Amino acid sequence: MATNRSGASQRPNGAPQTKVCQFKLVLLGESAVGKSSLVLRFVKGQFHEYQESTIGAAFLTQTVCLDDTTVKFEIWDTAGQERYHSLAPMYYRGAQAAIVVYDITNQDTFGRAKNWVKELQRQASPSIVIALAGNKSDLAAKRMVEFDEAQAYADENGLLFMETSAKTAMNVNDIFLAIANKLPKSEGAGGGSAAGARRLADGEQPRSSACCK
Amino acid sequence: MNEEALLSRASEERELIFERYERGRENLVGQIDPWEDPEFEEYHKTDRYGFIHDERLPQKTAPQKVNAEVEREKKWIKMLSQWDSPSTKEKLHRRIYKGIPLSLRMNVWSKLLDINRIKSENIGKYQKMLKLAKAWSTDVRQIDSDVNRQFREHQFYRERYSEKQCSLFNVLCAYSMFNSEVGYCQGMSGLAGVLLMYMDEEDAFWALAVLLTDKRYAMHGLYIEGFPKLTRFLEHHDKILTKFMPKLKQHFDKFGLDAILYSLKWFFVCFVERVPFSLCLRVWDIYLLDGERVITAMAYTILKLHKKTIMKLNDMDLIVNYIQVKLHKDFGYEDDVVIYHLERSMEELKRAKLDYPGNPPPSELPKRSLGMFVEPDKRSKIGQRAENFSEREKQARAAVISRREKAELDLQVLRASQSDTVSEHSEVASGAPCDSVSGLGSRRSLADTSVTSTADLSVFSSGRSHAPDNSLDTHSIVSDDGTGSDGSGLRHWRRFEPDTYASQAQPLLHRSGICGMSIQRAPSTAHSTPRGTPHPPSVSPMSDDVVRIHVTYNPLSASPSHLQPISPSKMKNYNEVHHKPVSLGFYTTNGSNRQTDNRIRIQVPSEELLTPVVDSGRIINQRYIESHTELYDLK
Repeated sequence: MATNRSGASQRPNGAPQTKVCQFKLVLLGESAVGKSSLVLRFVKGQFHEYQESTIGAAFLTQTVCLDDTTVKFEIWDTAGQERYHSLAPMYYRGAQAAIVVYDITNQDTFGRAKNWVKELQRQASPSIVIALAGNKSDLAAKRMVEFDEAQAYADENGLLFMETSAKTAMNVNDIFLAIANKLPKSEGAGGGSAAGARRLADGEQPRSSACCK
Repeated sequence: MNEEALLSRASEERELIFERYERGRENLVGQIDPWEDPEFEEYHKTDRYGFIHDERLPQKTAPQKVNAEVEREKKWIKMLSQWDSPSTKEKLHRRIYKGIPLSLRMNVWSKLLDINRIKSENIGKYQKMLKLAKAWSTDVRQIDSDVNRQFREHQFYRERYSEKQCSLFNVLCAYSMFNSEVGYCQGMSGLAGVLLMYMDEEDAFWALAVLLTDKRYAMHGLYIEGFPKLTRFLEHHDKILTKFMPKLKQHFDKFGLDAILYSLKWFFVCFVERVPFSLCLRVWDIYLLDGERVITAMAYTILKLHKKTIMKLNDMDLIVNYIQVKLHKDFGYEDDVVIYHLERSMEELKRAKLDYPGNPPPSELPKRSLGMFVEPDKRSKIGQRAENFSEREKQARAAVISRREKAELDLQVLRASQSDTVSEHSEVASGAPCDSVSGLGSRRSLADTSVTSTADLSVFSSGRSHAPDNSLDTHSIVSDDGTGSDGSGLRHWRRFEPDTYASQAQPLLHRSGICGMSIQRAPSTAHSTPRGTPHPPSVSPMSDDVVRIHVTYNPLSASPSHLQPISPSKMKNYNEVHHKPVSLGFYTTNGSNRQTDNRIRIQVPSEELLTPVVDSGRIINQRYIESHTELYDLK
């Protein structure tokens, strides 16, 4: 709906302008499945064996470049303990993407992940992009959740799915990139969730905090 | 798995975890997973190229400092021997603010918390609780997982199943039985972890008990479901910021940075892992002496000392990182200097009567008697999660959301008041009664109506003193239902029904015949919000009641299908929004206004005014919107 009025062609120097999109992403999942570790790996390339437990939530940002678009993720890493659940909606409200994390060595955490998916489907934006991450894939010897089981569940529910390891970095960048690719970035695309993007589509203020511009 | 199998599996798991801590490190040789227990080098780190870096602490304590500490130790030992004497009372405050000598911290903390008395009154209780925990605690798994990552860089906790790790596990498990309302909540491992550095296991247990339930500290309210004390203290913190550092507050608001995002650990664990440990201990010394006022004042002091730097950081993650990570590594001030400022802050806050948020309401205090055994229900035994939020959780949820919304409103008030563009048609309504929008049943129903639109053209004013300058260039409606800041917001929280409100609200909106416009209570999040997402209506418990109006600039495609425009001609302007400037003046007809009926009038004047489009407190666009003067009455 928004016209492409502020497109690259209008830039004073005439250079093609890379589109910059900003998306809010939230990580959810049972305690100690590795949510903070995934974020730390993605944002800083680090891994701590003893990632301190997240109290409340943590906030980080990371930017990834796709072909013609720069995607800036605003990442909300939430606490896993049930008591903190009441704060979670504050973080997933308005989120365009979510990564629901479970630990492949713990069947319960997979059940819990399904509940998070349900909650997101019910309460979050209808067009939210949800990815399921089976973390700790480096501990495959202790695997309790089969890859195929999770893949089937993800397919049924239209989720992106990858097994990841924050420790070895396996699939960590990939899952964020897959989300970035799936998020609607063009003006007017993507239905409801693009409200923000559309609102900013004709914004001329080159503010880094704005969405697609 | 059926219920029985789940129950037996849970109890097996509990026993297994317990057993490992009981056996301890020496008896678990070869049974600790490598990932649980990597070998730390105490003083060195090896980089990826194989070079070993010396990470020894850069400076040794200066000899004169050591001498001073020795002198102080002597004084303290004397004081400890006559703890109840008037001379101790007289000197205690001054000496504690100077810092308890490290070697005596253990004794002094015990004295301050009166551990010996409590212990002598509860002989055998701790062991009993620990035994109960082994048989019943439903928090064992969580505690185990947190013990495995608490202070692992500290020599006491470095090795998996070390003596102190086992103590930490035991203290937390025993406490989860002792105080069944709290059980175990993440954060408590930090408290107990620090206590155990200076106390033995049972003393640490009682110290934890005192911190949670003695009225001087009253941390119970922080850790129970819904975190009511956190909400209350954050509100108080905001009040202090607004009064003493309004620019900093606005700076935070500008980036949607709620205090909950940077200060949670300040309140939950008294600055553990948020300031350098040496400073943290000094704050703990004072906290144990003077209680919860210290937390409030220290929070203020941190921001006061670092205000200049923070004001230069122009991104939410930079600010959060600075406050949470950088200040932990290096606070930038000597501990003594910080404590000096902390003391000044306490005086300053006291003069302003902001040193204490007030006595805790009954909801923050334990209801069940402590140490009484309560058998956990099946759900928590199995480890299942509740399907729905409890009342308390709903309140917490609403409170948190409303805090964010209020911050955003405050920012918009600021932006509006800074703006030069003024429309003569705009007026500010304040002190309007709650039901002044009768056409929609009540203001509340109006406000609860929520459909997010693409053009968020709202700015607010309120009944506050700076309000009259604003709302003029903007498209804002201003309301103040006069509930004030007396906590009456609680009343509204209970009305919060996230699952049902949207379905109630939409017909109301439909009836009102608002075309292409949607009305929403306050901005929903710090970020763009997809249309159609229900936004739980909520009322800031401490603030004015503000109604926010969103105007969709292309109602035909952007508004929900049930919202039909009043007339296409009127909406034409909106369709042309990209090409033609529009500005909306805005006023309400309640309060001191001379209008006769309860209406909100939105005026679209013909002046061409530069109009900021505000998203979550950020101006994202300035546009001209051109139109003839149009009036839309919202009945």
